[in-house]
Amino acid sequence: MSESEVALARITRMEEGTEGLNAFLALAEPEQLEPLAEGRLSGIPVAVKDNLSTAELPTTCGSRLLEGYQAPYEATVVRRLREAGGIVIGKTNLDECGMGSSTENSAYGPTLNPLDQSRVPGGSSGGSAAAVAAGYATMALGSDTGGSVRQPASFCGVVGIKPTYGRVSRYGLVAFASSLDQVGTIGRTVSDAAVLLGVIAGHDPRDATTANTPVTDFAGDVGKGVEGMVVGVPTDYFPEGLDPAIRALLDNALQRLVQAGAELESVSLPSTTHAIPAYYLLAPAEASSNLARFDGVRFGVRQSGPDIGSMYERTRRGFGDEVKRRIMLGTYALSSGYYDEYYGTAQRARSLVASDFARVFEKVDVLFTPTTPTTAFPLGANTDDPLAMYLSDVFTVTANLAGIPAMSVPVGEVEGLPVGGQVLAPWWHESKMLAVGGALEATMAGGVV
Amino acid sequence: MSVTRADVAKIAALARLELEKEELERLTLEINGILRHVAQLTSLDLMETADLTPQIRSPLPATRPEAVEDADVLSCPPSAFAPDWRDNFFVVPPPPGMHRKEPE
Repeated sequence: MSESEVALARITRMEEGTEGLNAFLALAEPEQLEPLAEGRLSGIPVAVKDNLSTAELPTTCGSRLLEGYQAPYEATVVRRLREAGGIVIGKTNLDECGMGSSTENSAYGPTLNPLDQSRVPGGSSGGSAAAVAAGYATMALGSDTGGSVRQPASFCGVVGIKPTYGRVSRYGLVAFASSLDQVGTIGRTVSDAAVLLGVIAGHDPRDATTANTPVTDFAGDVGKGVEGMVVGVPTDYFPEGLDPAIRALLDNALQRLVQAGAELESVSLPSTTHAIPAYYLLAPAEASSNLARFDGVRFGVRQSGPDIGSMYERTRRGFGDEVKRRIMLGTYALSSGYYDEYYGTAQRARSLVASDFARVFEKVDVLFTPTTPTTAFPLGANTDDPLAMYLSDVFTVTANLAGIPAMSVPVGEVEGLPVGGQVLAPWWHESKMLAVGGALEATMAGGVV
Repeated sequence: MSVTRADVAKIAALARLELEKEELERLTLEINGILRHVAQLTSLDLMETADLTPQIRSPLPATRPEAVEDADVLSCPPSAFAPDWRDNFFVVPPPPGMHRKEPE
């Protein structure tokens, strides 16, 4: 049996049992496991988030509105991974349309954290992170609009990468917030996530936002070491209230980088405080526009009505509460008379966040922060308080607002639950980020960099 | 800034969302909670800020060469996935309230 046949048989056995994680919304058929070509991913099973269009499996986006939807074309990232020999083993669960931090907003039920099934795997790429952590797939694709790859990677104890805005094609990704969305990679190791990034990265004439920059050998960057690098430690990301156990693990990680030859420098990013308010105006505003196409005419399972307005409204009843909440907030932020007060102001605040990064990257190579303020929380803990859920994205949204690359790497455990450290790098400098991520991983395992 | 239930009903109509009474009540409370949190931005003096697309640091030129590319990216012909496909057109149902006019 091939590696992917073994993987599929295992997923089917595990997910059909009572201990299933609900990590997948669709699984490949045995006849779909033949590799398209030989390449860097030959025969490797890859899980794909269900907001990326696939030609042979449905794409539901975790929404009732797209139940059974079969895309007539393939996302560029999916095509590239298949051309590199990778096998799409299945489509993974997510918060509906990518909106959420726990995968509890999926219309098809929550995914469970494989390390503790009473807890969430994070989100929105929770199915992808859980699939890799459970060993169902060697690596996975996710998407990251405000931390949706890094936060679940942190909660599940795996590696998650969000590349620079423009590094990876979004052609075939169901759009959530187009100025923030990036496709990202998840792996059990930094090398796995880096190899997959190298396969999917690069200019795509079908996505005008992709840049024509050279794609280097990202996997080769992982073992380069950190000798002479300056790692910035932003005080704004280590607030007084940060869990002391999480802080201790991050301090330990920083000391390991010092032992590997890096220098530390304390820096300040004062506009971080504006990031969550700016993000929760910009992302819903863009979502309200992008999701207008789910009207039963262009996309979505049409529900009939006596007139066309009723048809739109009855069709859009299929959205879940979180999606409705964000469409409402975004429609308000874009409405006549409020546009400049909300959307315009948020865009300007966003530029302050980016300016902070540009300033500190003149004197440091990378930044190191916590990925999340807490470890994986229990299922249902935050579902009644949307603002509390939004505030948990405080350390991750800044990279999306500024467009810089960022990754989460496991740095230890608190009470048996994994903690992720976040490495942020300047625009187009994934290489530096991967060198630091690789050093953290190697020293964690007791190796020498 | 805060919104009333009537405001939320109007936003819902603009967004083509049909809300139950209970949803209207809940969303009014939730949107007001979020607006209170984002109010900190409106006190900032940001009018001098010029760069409104800071996430784009692309070396790609703003324009690209005019070139005709193969537009056929579908993995199967439209007839394979369209509900109805006739003479190279998608046949769609008429909007509610209108009747299909059969060709003579």
